[in-house]
Amino acid sequence: MSRVFITGAGVVSALGFGKKAFGEALAAGTSAASTVELFDASGLDRNIACEVKGFRARDFLTAGEARRAGRCSAMAVAAARMAVEDAGITPEQLAGPRTAVVLGTTMGEANVLGALESRWIHDGEAAVSEAMLPRYGTTLLPIHVARAFGARGMVKTLPAACAAGNYAIGYAADQIRSGRADVALTGAAEVIEKLQFAGFARLGAIAPERCQPFDANRKGLLVGEGAGMFVLESEESVVRRGATPLAEIGGYGLACDAHHITRPHPEGAGSRYATLRALRASGVRASDVDYVNAHGTATPANDEVEARVFADVFGTHRPLVTSIKSMLGHCMGASSAIEAVSCVLTLETGVIPPTIHYETPDPECDLNLVANEAQRAEVSLLLNNSLAFGGYDAVLCLAKPGVLPADTGAL
Amino acid sequence: MPTRRSGMRLAITGLGLVSPLGVSRSEWNASLVDPATARARAFGAASEVTGTTGSAEVWGFDPNSHLGPKGHRSFDRLTKYMIAAAKGALEDAGIKRDGAFVEGAPPATEIGICSATAYGSLDAITELNRVAELEDPRYINPTRFPNTVVNAAAGYVSIWEDLRAPNTTIVDGNCGALDAVLVASTHLAHQRGDAFLVGGGEVVSEPLHAALSRLGVLRGEDGGGVEMGEGACYAIVERAEDAALRGARVLSEIIGYGTAFEPPASEAVLVHASPDAVARAAIEALDEAGISPDEVDAVAGSAGGMAAIDAAEAEGLARVFGGWRGRGDIPVASPKAIIGETFGAAGAFGMAAALAWMEGAPVAPLRGDAVERPRTILVTTLGLYGNASAIVMRRA
Repeated sequence: MSRVFITGAGVVSALGFGKKAFGEALAAGTSAASTVELFDASGLDRNIACEVKGFRARDFLTAGEARRAGRCSAMAVAAARMAVEDAGITPEQLAGPRTAVVLGTTMGEANVLGALESRWIHDGEAAVSEAMLPRYGTTLLPIHVARAFGARGMVKTLPAACAAGNYAIGYAADQIRSGRADVALTGAAEVIEKLQFAGFARLGAIAPERCQPFDANRKGLLVGEGAGMFVLESEESVVRRGATPLAEIGGYGLACDAHHITRPHPEGAGSRYATLRALRASGVRASDVDYVNAHGTATPANDEVEARVFADVFGTHRPLVTSIKSMLGHCMGASSAIEAVSCVLTLETGVIPPTIHYETPDPECDLNLVANEAQRAEVSLLLNNSLAFGGYDAVLCLAKPGVLPADTGAL
Repeated sequence: MPTRRSGMRLAITGLGLVSPLGVSRSEWNASLVDPATARARAFGAASEVTGTTGSAEVWGFDPNSHLGPKGHRSFDRLTKYMIAAAKGALEDAGIKRDGAFVEGAPPATEIGICSATAYGSLDAITELNRVAELEDPRYINPTRFPNTVVNAAAGYVSIWEDLRAPNTTIVDGNCGALDAVLVASTHLAHQRGDAFLVGGGEVVSEPLHAALSRLGVLRGEDGGGVEMGEGACYAIVERAEDAALRGARVLSEIIGYGTAFEPPASEAVLVHASPDAVARAAIEALDEAGISPDEVDAVAGSAGGMAAIDAAEAEGLARVFGGWRGRGDIPVASPKAIIGETFGAAGAFGMAAALAWMEGAPVAPLRGDAVERPRTILVTTLGLYGNASAIVMRRA
């Protein structure tokens, strides 16, 4: 079984495009929250989100690509292009049937669908744009990415709601390990859309102003958007082209709560299992974990459950924990992919971004939190945590190259 | 050259479905004994959704008789179909009896879901969009909001049936349900569970009907075009050695999987089908199975009425099976000719048709000679954007 390395990372985020801008904004503790501009949210009781502003598809995509793709796919292609550049992999090395594309999302081209449906509902079938119809389809995200780079292996979307990034990255790594692919372009993308924003608002999940993970006065999440993409390669591919890996992918842990469609299991049963499973599959112990990028949505239920699971799994070890959703909002399907980019940056630079807006400790969330200011630390192994609608739990282990045992990910 | 992988050996130990031809494997198998009558039954009424004829629906489905009278009011149709199909599959595989887990079979913590859909959440999204657009976004029903998320239906299946191993939803257009086989195979190889529900679901919905109508691809008077179908179908898939160990009845093995993507020649094109992708997916599946094209007895294909798409599949299969057994055309039948186009679930119904053929239902090929009780069947699916997937099934 091959080891799997991340050799490139790219990101389209509300805190900047590309690893460098993103990393600097995170380290500075920048909040991306602002008044919603993508649609009229004035009647929705909530009107703050973390939108990606100033993203023009044509800055990253060819004219043909930009014409075919909706905003969600365009962000995925843009982030993928940055990842490919970061990896220094040539078009020839990337093209062909041995390159897989696996993407995560929650709703995919939600705003393409929103526009189609709005027209249909108000003006009838004949008013719907025939040219725009084929641009909807969750299946299109990896198709656009594959076409942009000449990838001709598998093209899959794993819509695992807010755990989709970890699902996609983990599954792409599986396919390289088993020899079905040498290279994978993987990650996730999501856009903010009116219906989904209204739905979260109706569920009472959106905070009025700020996202305050693990704070005693946290009032909910802020919706975010963007794309995080990676180039994954087999060890053989890395050696063959003399690439410098940014990180190694260990095992990942998946579980299903089978409890409630939107709320996490009260004892975090699935999350706990997925975390233990990620450690076991990676061939490491809880005490080897230096840092956890928490799911940390800032909903009352999520943060408490997550803190309880960390206490259970790590005991007195207490790794550093942060939630960058305090800055970026909850990018839903894209969140664990975008946050994985942050994780890779931490492995590269030793800087852990802060959980901003942290004011009042919550005794139910007793964590070794990187609060309000970035912290330097020796991080060689970390976990990227995610929980999702549907009771999905997914935990991904990333490490500095050379840290993980030889059989990591075999399980 | 691709790295040679160790072969795939998965056992299908049960099948559950909700289809225009009934809601159990036995009813499905019995219906397919007479394909013409089965087709008439599948398309036998005016749609309850669109009001027009020409779609194959799960006529008279009563959720209460499958899910009981309570607790499913906020579920959409897809969720109800998927739960009923999952229930049927778990019982058929001897994993559950009268709703309870059977001792000696995989327990709740070791059973997961690999479920495909292409447009599964469209219905729910439309329902809420109507409220948001015509009334006020503040009036949308929060208990229905989760249904707008693609994986919600599979999430409800896990809750209803208490299945706690990984739950993975797959979207790959019409190829998703066969891709679910690889997801299950991957999870099984990594010991992430011992049994998986593998398949998918799709429903005839007003927005999907409107979209296909607007695109002009619905079947017209000339006999060409898509006929919409719906339903949910799951196979229980286990590692073959584990199935043998627990003494499970094995309906079939799955011994190979392949997938491929080919872009269109023109930058401007989005919808297209590729013969190359079909051929590569089929060859990859046969390679993994370790068999030659001549060892395949029949193909459960995916011809669904769109001429250009169907032609691409025929051409791709001809490249693999040209001069089959020295005499010409391998028998290729399309289950879609009987139950319509089920999109993301199509591969699962392809598997279900293959199982029925293995048990004696006539193959009724579109091309090639009739074949009786085929032992080895290639199931293919073809997407609308250049993707294709295939699996090899072999009678146990």
